This record gives sequence, structure tokens and C-alpha cells, in this order.
Amino acid sequence: MLLLSSALYFGGKYALSESIPEINVFVLNDNNGTLTKILKNNFKVWQLASDQKYIFIKELNENKNNVLLDINNGIIKLYAYKNNRDIKKLKKYLDIYHQQIEMQRLGLSADDLASVLSPASTEETFIIKDNSSNRLILSYFFAGLMILAVFLSFAYQFTAITGEKQLRITEQIVSAISPQVWMDGKILGITLTGISSMITYSLLFIFGGIIYFQFTGASVLTILEYLHFPSIALFIPFALIGVLIWNAILAAIASVITDPNNSGKSSLMMLPVVFVIASFLVTRDPDSGLSVFLSWFPLTSASSMPMRWAITEVGIWQLIGSFLILLLTFYLLRKIAAKIFRVSILLTGKEPSWSEVYKFVKMK
Amino acid sequence: MQNTVLRVKSLSKSFSSVKALNNISFSINQGDIFAFLGPNGAGKTTTLRILLDIIKADDGQIEWNLDGNTHRLPKANQIGYLPEERGLYLDIPILKSLVYLASIRGMDKTEAKKSALEWLERLGLADRAKEKLQVLSKGNQQKIQFIASILHKPAFAILDEPFSGLDPLNQELFIEFIREINNQGTTILLSAHQMQLVEKIANKIFLINKGEELYNGSLSEIYKTFENKKIIELHYKSALNEDSLKNFKEAENIDVIENSIVKLTFGQNSDLKTVLSNLAQLEGDFDINIHKPDLHDIFLYLVKNH
Repeated sequence: MLLLSSALYFGGKYALSESIPEINVFVLNDNNGTLTKILKNNFKVWQLASDQKYIFIKELNENKNNVLLDINNGIIKLYAYKNNRDIKKLKKYLDIYHQQIEMQRLGLSADDLASVLSPASTEETFIIKDNSSNRLILSYFFAGLMILAVFLSFAYQFTAITGEKQLRITEQIVSAISPQVWMDGKILGITLTGISSMITYSLLFIFGGIIYFQFTGASVLTILEYLHFPSIALFIPFALIGVLIWNAILAAIASVITDPNNSGKSSLMMLPVVFVIASFLVTRDPDSGLSVFLSWFPLTSASSMPMRWAITEVGIWQLIGSFLILLLTFYLLRKIAAKIFRVSILLTGKEPSWSEVYKFVKMK
Repeated sequence: MQNTVLRVKSLSKSFSSVKALNNISFSINQGDIFAFLGPNGAGKTTTLRILLDIIKADDGQIEWNLDGNTHRLPKANQIGYLPEERGLYLDIPILKSLVYLASIRGMDKTEAKKSALEWLERLGLADRAKEKLQVLSKGNQQKIQFIASILHKPAFAILDEPFSGLDPLNQELFIEFIREINNQGTTILLSAHQMQLVEKIANKIFLINKGEELYNGSLSEIYKTFENKKIIELHYKSALNEDSLKNFKEAENIDVIENSIVKLTFGQNSDLKTVLSNLAQLEGDFDINIHKPDLHDIFLYLVKNH
């Protein structure tokens, strides 16, 4: 894990680092030398004679690093072998060239242009500002942990539920305990197993973080700035019920699967990711109708409500209300999961269709 | 008077358009070995699953009375269950599986371990207690299944098709075990389609076909009812001409099995002289066997006349 973290850090740093452009820029018709002047500090620049243009373009297949900029009546024609990172960088300098030409045409000085383009001068005062970005990062962390716990539980769903069904042991067991007790035991057991794995991974990430801080030279104590304990006290129960809800849904799906290798329903195990990703929409505008809905809707609220709470003002009644809906949803889902399991215990052949599963739920 | 431990009234169950059980009723007394008998698909397993609430009945009442009080469902420790669909944890040591299954039925783990080792010893599997179930033969896996169902010394054991998949020697062994746990106080409800095996141990039988009751009562009574009947079996060595059987007008029932065996059932009032005279006129080469009806014959007779 530490090796992986280090590899990701250094690899990422390398990938994002500024590299020296490899292209050779040839300029045609830059009569006053303005473009050459702008480019020469960042690129290797040459002037090209007009009669060489077509031969140059023809040979681009071989001279793959060569680029031609042909200025013609204010339009710059660009010829290159392919579009790449260097070309994108080159285009930024072409924008600067364009601005300078326009400034000359309009008779503006560089100071005039800077003044026009400068942002509005404002003095900002916000009521909610204390560590809100840190709290948001913390809420991301808990959303990540929640999805991690669900995924770590993923493998156990098949071992514990579909596996037992395949072994035909379930009939023996539910003759001793009720399907509800069996299902509750599975959901709780799978959740605890997922959480224990999650704690192990979290500790490894913390060690990785410490190493990261060592490399970047920042103080390890920086991490303490993110530990906002009231937020943690709020996020833990939301994340916990969120994991239980998803495990109840996945347990219900696992109980109708007879062969995980050939079942189309296995792909539904990816469902939690969709809803957790959707919950991130609240960070765009936490007070919009959509964000309010996501923070109350039980399949997203476990991660959305903590995110909203971190970045905007959320009343205590909203927190309590959203949490109660989460609890109620979990209570109902575990009942539904047990109902589906009860009927599907004996279905070891053809998998039931969704309409049949719906009938199971409606059964007495 | 014997104590009734299970009373079933007017039980019905349908699966889509198929009537799996149609208004069946029976009761089982403490100490009984009660056998549910019928062909495949008769409704035996459905009944047993309903008794344990694994599936729900559409209609009817079930009353359990294993502790002096009437309950809709028995307690886990009172019941032993050997399902028709066999299954145990294949990749867990045998002893561990047995202890776990006994513990979910309320048995103390130490006691369960001791009892499991005793049973394994008796079945000659003690030295394999720590091995995984998957390494055992199918017959030995069946034995482990049986131990798992009765290890916790239940007051009532439900054994669904206990003899299926066993060779004749193991079938006899299982009959002995069932007798033994019954003598120790466990009431037995078993389902089977091997009538000749059931005849050896059951004191009460329930004959069922297509979800309907054919007979419900003691084994001795059903024999008494049919003791005046006679079965004449003709085992053909040559080709059988079925048209020639039309002469046996006094036969209550004629069964032709696999086009080589003919079973003729005659009532008390049949004239044996006429029967023998008709037999003499039959074409072909065959052996004759005359006997009183066994349970299989009775079952076939009841199915035909239902």
C-alpha cells in the first residue's frame, strides 16, 4: 500500500510536471517580428521563406516535430503533424499575440488592457466560513469510506449469501432461525466485516499520508486541521446507516442470484457508486432544490447531507429528519431483503425475473 | 392417552395453477414414527416445508404442542430437520459444521462437540472429524447430514427422504438410527417413496397423491383393511398379450408393469376356482406369485380407485 501510494504520488507529480516543448516552430509572414518575439523564450523558432511553404507542409509526415505558423491578413494558419500537448501550449502564446495585435490596432497600452481584464474589486464577508473547505474534504473522506466499506463487503455478499444458497445449506438454517434473523445477521456481519477492512485500509492511508507529508515538507500536524470533531460525530452515523442500507439492498440482490458468474444481476452491485457520485452534485450549489432533494433522498443522503452541512447552513431539524428517513429506509429494506430471501431460498434453478421479485415482496 | 404433538387441519397450497396440497389434515402423537408416503411431486416436501414455516400455506391450521402449550411454530431446539435438498458447508471441517448447526438450535457448544464425536465414532467417521466435508463420499456426506439434523436431541425430527441416495446397507443402517432416536424419545415425521423401507419402521402412515389424502391412519389398520384381498403376480418370460387379461372380470384391479409383470388384485368374494381356470387359459410363459397386498400394492390400488 505504501509503495502504491508513493508510486501514485511520484508518478502523478511527474505526469503533471511542465516539460520543455519538443516542437520546432517555423513562422511565415511575421513581418514585424512580434510573433517570433513572443514565442522565442519558450520554443525553438525559425523564419520560413514563402517559397518553402509547400515543401515544408509536404515533409511534415517525416519532420513530425515541425510546426508552421502562416500569418495571413490577421489569420494564423497552423500546420503540424498532429495535435498534442505542445500545440495546446503554443495556442496560448498565439492568444497573447492576438491580444497584442488588437491592442496595437485599438491604440491601447498594456496597462489599459490589464485594467479592463482585472476582476471586480470586492470585500467579501461570509457568515459560514470556519473551516468549511476542511469540513467538505472531511465529508468527501467519509463518502469515500462509505463506498469503500460497501465495496469491501461486495465479495462477502456472494460468499455469505449466494454461496450458502449454492451449497443448499439455507433450508437447513432457516428451519432453525427465521429468514429475518438470517438476513439481519448477514447484513450486520457483512457490514462489520466491511468496516473492519475499511479501518485497516484507513490506517494504511494515514501512514501513506504521513509519508506524503514527509516528502512535501509540510507539517504532519496539517492533518489535524481537517479533524473537525462535531463533523466526525455527524458523519459517522450517516455513513454507518448508508453502508447498512447498501448492504441490505445488495444482500437482497445476492439472494436471488443463483450463479454470480452468469447472472446479469451481478452488475447491479455497482449501483452504490452511481448514487454516491450523484451526491457530489450538492457541492455545486448546496442550496438548490436538487441538493436539498439529494440530502433527503435515502440512497444519496448518507453522503449528500454531510456534504451540504459542511458547505452551507443546514438546520438541525433537517439533519434529524434526513437521518430518521435513512433509519426508516434501512428498517424497510431489511424487511424486504428477508422477504425476497425467504422465497428465493428454494429457487436454485432459473433466476427469478424482476417482476417475480416484485411478487415476492408483495407476498404475505 | 397419548399426547398429540402436531395437529394439521385443512392445509392447502397452490403454486400458480398447480394445486400442491388440497385440504389435508393429520395429527401426530408423541413417540410416533409417522410416514408421509407418495410418489415424487405428491406434495410431501411442500407439507414438511409448510410445517417449518419455510413456505407459507394458502389455507389451514398448524398447531405444535411439544412443551405442553400450543404454538404456531416449534422452537428451534425442539426440531430436527433433514431437508430433501441436502447441503452442508463443504469447505469447513466436519466437526465445526456439526457444532455450528447444533449451536444455532440452542445446544451448548461443548455438549454439541461431545455428542458429534460420539455419533461420528458410531458411524466410523471419528478419524475424519477435522477433514472438510467435500473429501467424503456421497454416502458419508449423507450420514453427516443425518447427524446434523438430530445432534441436538430434538423432541421432533422431520426427515425428508432420509433413504434417498443410500445403498441398501446404509438404508438398513439409517432405519436402525431412526428406531434408536425414536426409542430415546424423539417423535419422527418422515417422507419417503420407498414403501418397503417405511413398512419396517413406521407405525402410522399418510398416503398422499397429487396433493390429496389417500389414507391416514395406522399401518396395522390399513393391512387389516386389505388383508382379505389377494394379489396374483404374473411374471412373463414371453411376450404378454394384454387382450387376454380381459377374461379376469372379477379382478378389482389389473396393473401391467413394464409390459412383463401383471398384478391382479382380487377381493374376498372372488372365486379362486374361476381365477385359476382363467389363468390356465392364458397365453404365454410366466411364473405365478400369490401374496397378500403389501404397502406398495395398497398404494397403487388406492391411487387407481381415488
